[in-house]
Amino acid sequence: MTSLAENLNFKNLVKNISLERSLFWITAALMFAAIIYPASMAIRAAFFENDVFTLIGFQRILELDTFYSDISNTLLFSAGSMFGATIIGVSLAWVNARTDVPGVKAIEVFCVIPFFMSAFVGAIAWRLLFVPNAGMISMFLLNHGVPAILLPDIYSLGSMIFIQSVFYSPFMYLYAVASFRQMDPTLEEIARIHGAGNWSTFRKITLSVNGPALLSGMILVFVMSVGTLEVPMALGSAGGNYVLSTRIWALMNNMPQDVTAASALGMIAILIAAIGIVIQRKLLGNRKFTTVTGKGYKSKRISLGKWRWIVFALAVIYIMFAVIMPIVTLILVALQKFWTGVFSLQFFTLDNFYTVLFEYDVTARAIKNSLFACSVAATISVIFALILSQVRSRNAEAFMGWLVLLPIVIPGAVFGMMVLFAFVKTPIYNTIFIIIFAYVIAYFYLAYRTIYSVRLSIHPELEQSARIHGASWFQSTRRILTPLLKPGIVSAWLMSFILFIREFSSVMFLYRHGTEVMPVVFFMLMERHSARLAAFMVIQTAILLLIMIVYQRFTSKNSTGAAF
Amino acid sequence: MSAFLIVKNLSKRFDNHQAVDNISFEIEEKKLFVLLGPSGCGKTTTLRCIGGLEKPDSGIISINDEVMSNNDEQIFIPAEKRGMGMVAQSYAIWPHMTVFENIAFPLRMSKFDKNLLGERVEDALDMVQLKGLGSRNATDLSGGQQQRVALARAIVGRPKLLLFDEPLSNLDAKLREQMRYLLKEIQTEIGITAVYVTHDQSEAMGLGDELIVMNEGRIEQSDQAKSLYNDPKTRFVGEFIGTANLIEGIVVDKKNDLSEIKLKSGNKELTIKARTSSHSVNETATLLFRPEWISINKNAKVNTDNSIAGVVKNYQYLGDRAELIIETDFADIKASVVDDDDYTVGDKVLILINQKKAIIF
Repeated sequence: MTSLAENLNFKNLVKNISLERSLFWITAALMFAAIIYPASMAIRAAFFENDVFTLIGFQRILELDTFYSDISNTLLFSAGSMFGATIIGVSLAWVNARTDVPGVKAIEVFCVIPFFMSAFVGAIAWRLLFVPNAGMISMFLLNHGVPAILLPDIYSLGSMIFIQSVFYSPFMYLYAVASFRQMDPTLEEIARIHGAGNWSTFRKITLSVNGPALLSGMILVFVMSVGTLEVPMALGSAGGNYVLSTRIWALMNNMPQDVTAASALGMIAILIAAIGIVIQRKLLGNRKFTTVTGKGYKSKRISLGKWRWIVFALAVIYIMFAVIMPIVTLILVALQKFWTGVFSLQFFTLDNFYTVLFEYDVTARAIKNSLFACSVAATISVIFALILSQVRSRNAEAFMGWLVLLPIVIPGAVFGMMVLFAFVKTPIYNTIFIIIFAYVIAYFYLAYRTIYSVRLSIHPELEQSARIHGASWFQSTRRILTPLLKPGIVSAWLMSFILFIREFSSVMFLYRHGTEVMPVVFFMLMERHSARLAAFMVIQTAILLLIMIVYQRFTSKNSTGAAF
Repeated sequence: MSAFLIVKNLSKRFDNHQAVDNISFEIEEKKLFVLLGPSGCGKTTTLRCIGGLEKPDSGIISINDEVMSNNDEQIFIPAEKRGMGMVAQSYAIWPHMTVFENIAFPLRMSKFDKNLLGERVEDALDMVQLKGLGSRNATDLSGGQQQRVALARAIVGRPKLLLFDEPLSNLDAKLREQMRYLLKEIQTEIGITAVYVTHDQSEAMGLGDELIVMNEGRIEQSDQAKSLYNDPKTRFVGEFIGTANLIEGIVVDKKNDLSEIKLKSGNKELTIKARTSSHSVNETATLLFRPEWISINKNAKVNTDNSIAGVVKNYQYLGDRAELIIETDFADIKASVVDDDDYTVGDKVLILINQKKAIIF
């Protein structure tokens, strides 16, 4: 009889576990723990009080008379934003990828800016335009005899959905545009030959073929909207329209603090996100469309004819709403001594910029903190992504595919609270490293997917021949792989940095005195000093646009896009 | 009666490349018409213009006396209103639909009677030998089956004109042959007029009732398969269709049937007789003969009439025939023989050119 050990052939097993494999599994296990540990701490916080199992948290949130309105607001806000962002994003993607609209290059660049600018900045800018007695547009309209009743209510749920849709549509846009570009254009042409007009073709072929990709994008916008604090804090709280995320934040930060109830609400938010994902899976079924493409007939753009300029005008209106108006508003407000709702040369000043950069210690500190935390987090993300995209085995890749998606399905505000629970009893709690931790985990999929997709395009024989010619794993990684991966590394780093610097929802739970990052200070200044707030937002937007320009220059030269 | 499809003075330009350069041709009803040529010759662009996927720069296209496209009169019927069927190279099977729904699509678009639709789709499935696969997911099928679905989809609505854009070039050799026979059978059975684009000459010759050889956006020759092979009008057609030996020389005599051409190499000269075509005496012309238009004499010591002496340079036995390359003073000559003689590299042989086949132009 052979022993179990011989059967399993332990010797061979051990021999096969090479350095790269162990490095992979150690890092992967660390990543896994970094998600699971905070999650379990949050579950614990929801179900235990003073180390005793209890449902009292759920009982207390049910007793809140705002409970049902918070839930319905959350559902309306998230679903409404999802559909709004989809309509805007998919239309723009189709126009840019498949039609002969004039100025397509410029529209393409502008379409993604709103996402990087962050919805919080956008919402604040819109607030400065429409706030009842000090909005630039509302004052203008009032002064020209438009009755107040006709002005839009910027604090309403409808306005929240509108602004969330405008600023999250780039996400749908990126999903849709990649999918449209990959589609074999013959699928549409054959439909037209067999009698389908432009509209039928778009509906029955284009939308349906790209359905799975669009559904994935939609569910992400939905989950992000469930968890966001940006628009709900900038507009909703002031108008009394609370959603789950803002209620959780209030329970955690207002006196008396109620950690158990906040955690219980967090569980409900996760449940809503999970239901969204289940519905998406149901709709998707097991459809995953792989299409056979021909020998690359160039994708012919659809001729819009007389509609060209109408479509162009619609795209320009979007860019006005999402990019030009917010930025111009912020600049104008930032140049005023104090904000009265009307720009006047009499109050022109550059003092606000001087103040936030050099005088006001919290803003100056936040800039330093943001730059430090974002660079460190981007570097860590890239290093982890490099290690984790090395090993090519079905198990490893499947595990990673699943692992990086985990944090995405956790609503942002809940994620911030989880990380807080995980570190509240450790020395990290009071440092900026808790924010760095949140950055890395929340957006790791981006660095991983970017580097992984470049990695896939590098044929294994390139490394194998280095190994055959005597290089160790470390040497072949350093001399062969790293130079080939360089474009992926640079774009992953820049893209991560951009996403980190604008991240709002999770850091609102994690900052302490001294570790404030820029979005936190936006919040602090929000109700206090509009002009300084605007100046500070202009500075952040300038940093972001600068990095975006570097990124676009870089990717257009190296042709590796972000792997959304 | 005028022709079924008429293309007149068609031109199409992309940026700085003249894809189609003022071509005209006509097709009779129920014929399969092949556009043949190397990639980039303009054949696919011509097909796309007929289908309405590409808007011509100038020219007229009409089907059954109905104008589809006329630049002078600003007429351009969009693709979906032309009532055509098409099979594309990439199959273009819609991945989100079943086989049945893929095939039913043209019928649904033309508001076909819903009660008869099922039967009509089943008939089409039957015709392409995919009976019973209607409920399958289209992308679960093999490449060959997908191509059959594409064919069924193209014919189900009984279109006025069927367009084929290199439909077989993604299939492997065996399948391609099977599909070729199936295609021809179906096209004859339902009596549809078809335009077929390909770069594969055996496909073209086997299928085409009538063929056009295109090159650089222009028509080189329009003929039936046999004439293209035996009577190429240009050097391009001679080289593109089949294998050809081409040697330049000077025409020294021209009669109604036979002409004589003088080949020159250094101080060596040789006169060969071959069929007359468009050439004039004392001018440079090309002698064309196919590898099987010659016979090889291994033992001849002296030059006989219409023959060239040479040395075997390469010999390959292929079962049904043998192929040789024979080095001569004038050119390396490709030969194809069906005798079972053995040849060894270095053998001295005499190549006898069949003067009733070879041609001078």
